[in-house]
Amino acid sequence: MIAPYYVFMLIFLLLPILINIYLSFHHYDMSSIRFAGLGNYKKMLTDSILKTSIVNTFFFSVGTLSMTLVLGLLAALAFNKVRRGGRFFRTAFFMPYVVSMATASMIWLWLYDPGYGFFNGVLDLIGLPRSKWTFDVDIALICVMLVTVWKFVGYNMVILTSGLLAIPEQLYEAARIEGASSIKQLFSITLPMLRPTTFLLIVTGFINNFNVFEQVNILTGGGPMNSTTTIMHQVYVRAFVEYNMGYASAVTVLLIVIVAGFTGLNFGVGSRGQDLDLS
Amino acid sequence: MRRNLVTTNLLYLTLGIVSVVMLIPLFVMFATSLKSMGEIFSRGSFINFFIPKVIHLENYSEAFKSGDWSRYFFNTLFITAITVACSLVINSLAGYAFARLTFRGRDLLFFAGLVGLMIPPQASIVPTFLILKNFPLAGGNDILGRGGLGFINTYFGLLAPYLAGSFGVFLFRQFFLNFPKSLDDAAKIDGLTRFGTFIHIYVPLSSTVFASLLCLKATQTWNEYVWPLIITTDPKMMTLQLALVLFKSDLDTQWNYVMSASTVITLPLIILFIFAQKTFVAGIATSGIKG
Repeated sequence: MIAPYYVFMLIFLLLPILINIYLSFHHYDMSSIRFAGLGNYKKMLTDSILKTSIVNTFFFSVGTLSMTLVLGLLAALAFNKVRRGGRFFRTAFFMPYVVSMATASMIWLWLYDPGYGFFNGVLDLIGLPRSKWTFDVDIALICVMLVTVWKFVGYNMVILTSGLLAIPEQLYEAARIEGASSIKQLFSITLPMLRPTTFLLIVTGFINNFNVFEQVNILTGGGPMNSTTTIMHQVYVRAFVEYNMGYASAVTVLLIVIVAGFTGLNFGVGSRGQDLDLS
Repeated sequence: MRRNLVTTNLLYLTLGIVSVVMLIPLFVMFATSLKSMGEIFSRGSFINFFIPKVIHLENYSEAFKSGDWSRYFFNTLFITAITVACSLVINSLAGYAFARLTFRGRDLLFFAGLVGLMIPPQASIVPTFLILKNFPLAGGNDILGRGGLGFINTYFGLLAPYLAGSFGVFLFRQFFLNFPKSLDDAAKIDGLTRFGTFIHIYVPLSSTVFASLLCLKATQTWNEYVWPLIITTDPKMMTLQLALVLFKSDLDTQWNYVMSASTVITLPLIILFIFAQKTFVAGIATSGIKG
């Protein structure tokens, strides 16, 4: 009964990883293949665009992850207090999640338009100087981050809400009898009890954000001046624009190693003192 | 009591404002879809971002004259339907096996699947592309996978990497684990095989999980952009998301057409979401409570 699942897993998960490792030691331009030894890896050490992309990817991941988590948590806490109208608020928050990243990027590209876009309209309205948004080296990456936060904050909210609902009400009752303030309750009950949920969101969120590509490709194409290029964007450009499959594979191996390392680190740090129930 | 009322009202006000802010991009999308290019490229008052001066409904027919959009709709719908149907079957079978059968190496296989959840599909686009391109005997390839295009520009190439997916397996396993074991025993006494138990007892009782995964998988496949971008070169095989991004140009993007196409592409999902909100949320929430 698991055979169909594993046939696909084997072909589209395990086999790709092996091919990736194999290709990373070769030069391959889709027609001829030759052994490269550590050539691709040595090239990575001196590739300054790759270095920029690694820094960008870290900045993007950490920034996006913390913004979605904090905003998602605030929203979940607020919705938990609301009795009427909760459905409307929740729908509004979750709606962007069903919009595709391609569509979201196109919509925001228009919002960011330096000539007639919405954001410069807002700046005009409150009398601030206009910005070039995605064309400004200093803030282009932040523009890409905002689209991502917009799309995923509702997803985080839903998961955190289900985490909140799972906290036994007795804990709060006991705290109230003891005279604990609501701030105290938040820090002594709610946040510690949400730890497994937050942990899961950090692990999966990091993996997804670290592979950021679509938004970058559509909004900025990695520019201006490589200020928004990410590791995955570099893989795409090397593989499918320059047809340098070997080098792209080496970069992918690096990407997988970083993601695996962080996931391992997360499990090491995050699951200490609690049973992470994976079954 | 009075202070409580003030905080409650403040909370409602904040939530109201933030919710509206979250919807602004979608409002602007819809408003822009009804404007003329002349209005888009002129400075009106701020309110015109949300309300067009003159409504141009014909944008909706003009936008789709830019390419073979009925074909793109068919492609996307076809890929989504097949992917959803296959993954429901494949995932529920595997989920049942992991939850109820005992066989050698089960836990090892299960954790291998867990690794699959850790490596997102984007990270293996290069090798997956090469596997499908060099697939033996497909698309003009010889037995060693050389010479032809393989599965490039085929429906199989577009949907194959998404048929399995570990997420659904976990979702089903989680759900099936909650079924009482006595159910299996009763089925056995009645002479049902393992497979018969799955078909006649587990499946009919699991419509909620099937619905959840259907919603999530359909949204995911409908919205996919990266993989179609890589595996297709023939405009005939394009999906909606690809066609939408093609509107983008360096100088004069037709924003009204972009937005009317965006509205039409997104509308099915928004409708699905509004009617099946609980189902969506249940699927996502289950994945959140336990890994």
